[in-house]
Amino acid sequence: MIKTIAKPSERKTTGCGECRSTCQSACKTSCTVGNQSCERVTKEQKIERK
Amino acid sequence: MKHVFRYHDKHYVYDVGSGSLHECDEATAKLLKGEPDGLTEEERQKTLSDLAALRAEGLLDAPETSARPIKSDKVKALCLHVSHDCNLRCKYCFADEGAYHAQREVMSWETAKAAIDFLIRKSGNRKVLEVDFFGGEPLMNFDVVKKAVYYGKEEARKAGKRILFTTTTNGLLLDDETIAFLNEEMENVVLSIDGRKEVHDAVRKTVNGKGSFDAVIEKIKKFVAVRGDKHYYVRGTFTAKNLDFAEDVLFLADSGFDSISLEPVVTEIPELQIKEEHLPAIEAEYERLCDAFLERERAGKPFSFFHFHIDLEGGPCLEKRVSACGAGNEYFSVVPSGDIYPCHQFAGEKEFLMGNVFAGEIDPALRKKFAESCLFTRETCKDCFAKFICSGGCSANNYHFTGDINEPYPITCAMMRKRAECAMHVLADRKSREN
Repeated sequence: MIKTIAKPSERKTTGCGECRSTCQSACKTSCTVGNQSCERVTKEQKIERK
Repeated sequence: MKHVFRYHDKHYVYDVGSGSLHECDEATAKLLKGEPDGLTEEERQKTLSDLAALRAEGLLDAPETSARPIKSDKVKALCLHVSHDCNLRCKYCFADEGAYHAQREVMSWETAKAAIDFLIRKSGNRKVLEVDFFGGEPLMNFDVVKKAVYYGKEEARKAGKRILFTTTTNGLLLDDETIAFLNEEMENVVLSIDGRKEVHDAVRKTVNGKGSFDAVIEKIKKFVAVRGDKHYYVRGTFTAKNLDFAEDVLFLADSGFDSISLEPVVTEIPELQIKEEHLPAIEAEYERLCDAFLERERAGKPFSFFHFHIDLEGGPCLEKRVSACGAGNEYFSVVPSGDIYPCHQFAGEKEFLMGNVFAGEIDPALRKKFAESCLFTRETCKDCFAKFICSGGCSANNYHFTGDINEPYPITCAMMRKRAECAMHVLADRKSREN
């Protein structure tokens, strides 16, 4: 048995660089890119929810 | 490349190339690892067929990305060291208890203004910029923080941009005025508290050598109570002295904080430093924390733990994931003199001095060095499953522990990998509850 839990969603745009600076997220010592969100995806989700 | 791992009785496969996560049974996990799997021939054929289907979908053994790092010559974020002084004397402070191995001083308004001007001027066509106020303790220079925010907002508006502000504070100077201002003006506020009173007080001392827990806890609670749905983090540090740090995270959650981050200490103080021999205990503790985290979520008392947030579906794109953090290229620190460094953790290290906001230029050779540093220049990361999650780690940590911004520190990596596994288990657990 093997089932997929998560896979990256299709992106309209990648590499736009709009994401927040990694060090601004929370910790200032071991913040990692993977803990961040994509600003574009977040924005799109907000628009969809409205 | 794929990473097959176990979390309690669950088996997971993280496919590094596609960035997808799968849950499987033990026999499939063994088959994938090339171990004796105990499957009948019929079961094996069925499993192989399932795996082939995933491969056909590009979700297993997918080729690794050809994405290239984001190459920008724009400045998008500044860390303003508005105070190289602090009203605490935390033992583990990487910033030399606020002084950064130099004279205790605060940033003048002229320097803060020049830094804001520099940011806007160097930001090119970027619309959203970031400034964080850091120290030492930034609220010791509250007037400059306020002026910088009001000036920055106005200048950004004139330039058709927006600045998101963040403050990192130890909470000692929070009062009605500072709380109202931070709440109104800050996109994010990071409040430093380590957890249980005895843990916090053992390292976070006042100038007089007393523990600071009692002086900050109610102030931080008061701030969070009025924060509403705006971003904040209570952010602590754990050391070799509290390897039972899950208790500290849960203490913070029980104190009413729902946005929590707890980081391993970065220090060379022998009794506090995280060493290799601590790793088994730390990895077990992350699991214990993860179990408690999920238990609370299931019980309807959720909180957010920064390192358990990994969004494999809508998180950063691959270009971002291979680009590293951007320090020294699009993110810089400015110290009270106006000198520019790649980030706050390099501040004061003369070999990393990159310029000064009054001169307005950045050393091109140093900038090139940081701009070129990315996942692909970090050779050690090549065979690590977590490389697209951590992007090769923190340049400053790498440099301070290994002497090379491109050479990760193995102990940091081990903790990172464990947190990534926990975060993936969190994703799977949530998914199982949705279905």
